[in-house]
Amino acid sequence: MISPRLIVAATAMSISFTAFGGGTHGGGHGHGANAGEPGKAGDANRTVSIKMYDNYYEPETIAVNPGETVRFVVQNKGQLVHEFNIGTPDVHEAHQKEMMMMVEHGAIQGGKLNHDMMEMDMGDGQSMKHDDPNSVLLEPGESAEIIWTFSKQGNIEFACNVPGHYQAGMYGDVNFN
Amino acid sequence: MKLWKPWVASAIVTIGAIPALASGQDFMADTTQRKQPLKVWGAQFEELEYRYSDNDEEIGVWDADFFYGTDKFKARWLTSGEYSFEERAYEKLENQLVGQIPISTFFDAKAGVRFDTPEGPDRTYAVLGVTGLAPQWFEIDANVYVSKDGDTSADLDAEYELLLTNHWILAASLDATVAFSEDREIGVGKGLVSTETGLRLSYDLIDRAFSPYVGVVHERKHGDTADIARAGAGSTEDWFAVIGARLSF
Amino acid sequence: MKKTLVAGALSLLIPAIGLAAEYNLTVDRVKIDTGEFVKEGVGYNGKSPGPVLRFKEGEEVSINVTNNLDEMTSIHWHGLILPFEQDGVPGISFPGIKPGETFTYKFPITQSGTYWFHSHSGFQEPEGAFGSIIIEPEGREPFRYDREYVVQLTDKHPHSSERVMRNLKVTPDYYNRKQQTVGEFFSDASENGFLSTVKERLAWGGMRMMQADVEDLQGFTGMINGKSPKQNWTGIFEPGERIRLRFINSSAMTYFDIRIPGLEMTVVQADGNNVQPVNVDEFRIGVAETYDVIVRPKDEQAYTIFAESKGRSGYARATLATEEGMEAAVPELREPARLTMADMGGMSGMDHGDMPGMDHGDMAENDEMAGMDHSNMANMDHGSMAMPEAGPSDPFYAEGSGLVPTAANGGKFLSYADLKAQKPLYEQREPAREIELRLTGNMERYTWSINGVKYEDADPIRLKYGERVRFKFVNETMMTHPMHLHGMWSILDVGAGQWNPVKHTVSVQPGTTVYMETEVDASGQWAFHCHLTYHMAAGMFRKVIVEGGPESTQAASSEQSSNAGGDV
Repeated sequence: MISPRLIVAATAMSISFTAFGGGTHGGGHGHGANAGEPGKAGDANRTVSIKMYDNYYEPETIAVNPGETVRFVVQNKGQLVHEFNIGTPDVHEAHQKEMMMMVEHGAIQGGKLNHDMMEMDMGDGQSMKHDDPNSVLLEPGESAEIIWTFSKQGNIEFACNVPGHYQAGMYGDVNFN
Repeated sequence: MKLWKPWVASAIVTIGAIPALASGQDFMADTTQRKQPLKVWGAQFEELEYRYSDNDEEIGVWDADFFYGTDKFKARWLTSGEYSFEERAYEKLENQLVGQIPISTFFDAKAGVRFDTPEGPDRTYAVLGVTGLAPQWFEIDANVYVSKDGDTSADLDAEYELLLTNHWILAASLDATVAFSEDREIGVGKGLVSTETGLRLSYDLIDRAFSPYVGVVHERKHGDTADIARAGAGSTEDWFAVIGARLSF
Repeated sequence: MKKTLVAGALSLLIPAIGLAAEYNLTVDRVKIDTGEFVKEGVGYNGKSPGPVLRFKEGEEVSINVTNNLDEMTSIHWHGLILPFEQDGVPGISFPGIKPGETFTYKFPITQSGTYWFHSHSGFQEPEGAFGSIIIEPEGREPFRYDREYVVQLTDKHPHSSERVMRNLKVTPDYYNRKQQTVGEFFSDASENGFLSTVKERLAWGGMRMMQADVEDLQGFTGMINGKSPKQNWTGIFEPGERIRLRFINSSAMTYFDIRIPGLEMTVVQADGNNVQPVNVDEFRIGVAETYDVIVRPKDEQAYTIFAESKGRSGYARATLATEEGMEAAVPELREPARLTMADMGGMSGMDHGDMPGMDHGDMAENDEMAGMDHSNMANMDHGSMAMPEAGPSDPFYAEGSGLVPTAANGGKFLSYADLKAQKPLYEQREPAREIELRLTGNMERYTWSINGVKYEDADPIRLKYGERVRFKFVNETMMTHPMHLHGMWSILDVGAGQWNPVKHTVSVQPGTTVYMETEVDASGQWAFHCHLTYHMAAGMFRKVIVEGGPESTQAASSEQSSNAGGDV
């Protein structure tokens, strides 16, 4: 299971928008930390509310136990499109390049998402759908849920990879208890 | 009836003015320097040089320009002369006082008086001229002169600067004088009087304030003027090696 | 009775418990040492640049300014929204501050961000009379950083400003040492052909315009926070930290292209107003503009902050390092830009309607991609997925302009078109009217004007309190003009509607038309001018009178307040 996904992820890294699904491919990058994997609703013992503003999160840090499954309720309280994405800094960095393309192609327009554009077939069965289980991309006023199982200790951040937002400081730290 | 109309008009104006005043017409007026025309002075020696001729004549030459004024009007003192070290005398000494106003994007008109006080007879002229920048970067200065006795003449100066580098500059100049009437007393015949062509290689040593140069100058008298010179055993053509500096303060 | 007493006591208390801060500034003769030359200049609190003034949004500041010069002075709070009597322009806001006098400025701080202050008297500002202002917001910043530094740039010239002005008037190319030479003719001829080079030179000569007319004033030493490249101002950081750099261009005449080799910069603020973050490799800062960027150096090494003048005749340099004394390589200056015929697009006699690149409708479309035809997308090259790379172009430069900047590393160079307000400051609404301002001048006479009229001959521009006006700048000269309206915001039209960025200084490139809108929400009279010192002094200046408004009845109070300040 692990190795085929890894190869797919590595080859698709520069062009794919959907390869960052599970945390299983994280081993090939940087600090060698997995962000974790999608969780089951039944395993979530607690709910963490994340509010997204222009351009920062509230709260900016969360504490989890290794292996804990958390239900995140993410609300976009700002006026711009924001993302909530769980991953390592390296994964975020790679993802930012693709988000840049989404902006260049008009899929993200300030405060709006162009869903037609995101659905568009980019060839090779790819699209800018942005339907990874570790992230949500929300227009102002929208909210969504993510259930995530943090696997183990590591350098994990939640971040908004809309161009410039991460660099400006729209990220939060995941601290392991 | 006739009287009445202006009264009404002024009343209307007054009524109209009151709200305007109330809405902030009594702000302070700008009386600072910013609101005054910018006054500028300049002092330049286009030529300040020592000339050594092909027949061993040594002369000192200057061509300078001092002005003060605004964009709309400048007062200008133009002075030029040639001093012969051998004869200890001014072969040429010319001073002009002119007022100068812009007449087009690149040209100014000037008017004033010119006093010639070299060794020999003096002359006073009225001057009318244009000065400015012609297409292809030729600096042009053209004047007509009318002497007190009614003798008329004109001159044209043109200069072109070639930038060998941003500090080494090769300047070519041509001065030509034409007389429309003879003034034998000062050796001027009718027609083309004289030409002076120069080529000077300068280096901007201190900004554009001090630019030493070397060059060659060719002076030639033409037509009747040349005949008059020959009759007086004067030369009609001279080559000079020059060394000097362009100064700008 | 009791109630009114309480209310009365409260109202008495409010100013006392409300934030109030007092600052003292002295205006002094100072020595400015660039390491290459030492110049007598003007500074604040004995130094140039003056101190960093730290204000807090919501507080009421009083600033005692003592004039220790033997001439009149003034301080203008560049970009601050305040009552016009406090704006510090002699002859427009107040009479000025006499020698030996202390004037107390008093105004509420209603904004946050990076700004600066400078003298508005004579040539004191280019002589060194400037400092910086940091205003902390009431709430949190919409970005995060661990450290911050002001990076205040200037172009210190060995000549006195009076002399520079006179030299420019007498010989407009006095300081231009990047002119086309015989050597350049031959290198152009071998590149583009002899005949076409001759033709080109003749075309420019015919107009009596210089392709090299990019930087009026050369021969300066670029300074950062009062340090020359040699003196190398250094900001310390710990690897991994986010650093907010507050760039302020306090130059008299010089635009700088700024980069930090090895670091990406995220622009988060322009002219004190937050913008949606943009990652860039390089940006151009116009005279009087400010840009705040966030950088995150991850390695334990030195990074050079390299600010190359637009005309490539000089540079400023500073260093970010983990310890004092560390240095990184200082890049070479690039080749100077040359104007093209496109930059002459605005010269009189040309058809403005033809001007490409700045058509307003087009811009909006590009930006929002509203008119994008999805069916065409099928033809897109999916392999590369990058936007097709044409030659350098920027909608805020004439199409085919020779001035369009490119990043030294081939990456992203910030454009005005990238600037979007982080949070709209005003409700979007239609302007009541459009005011056309042609930026005009004559390079050979070094005269600069608006609509062909210099300030000395000009009537004021009259605006009505409460209206929204649209200014149309048409640059008919071959120089870039950073236009600065005092007292009210300049909402630069980048085609982003309500997200248009809010600025205090708007650069208008040669041959272009730029629009900005202003909510006329400040009564009184204000200055409006090109912020290039010698253009302003040569006449590119206007007085703006805002008629009406809540304070119209106190219009005459300017005299009063200046007197009140006079004897402190």
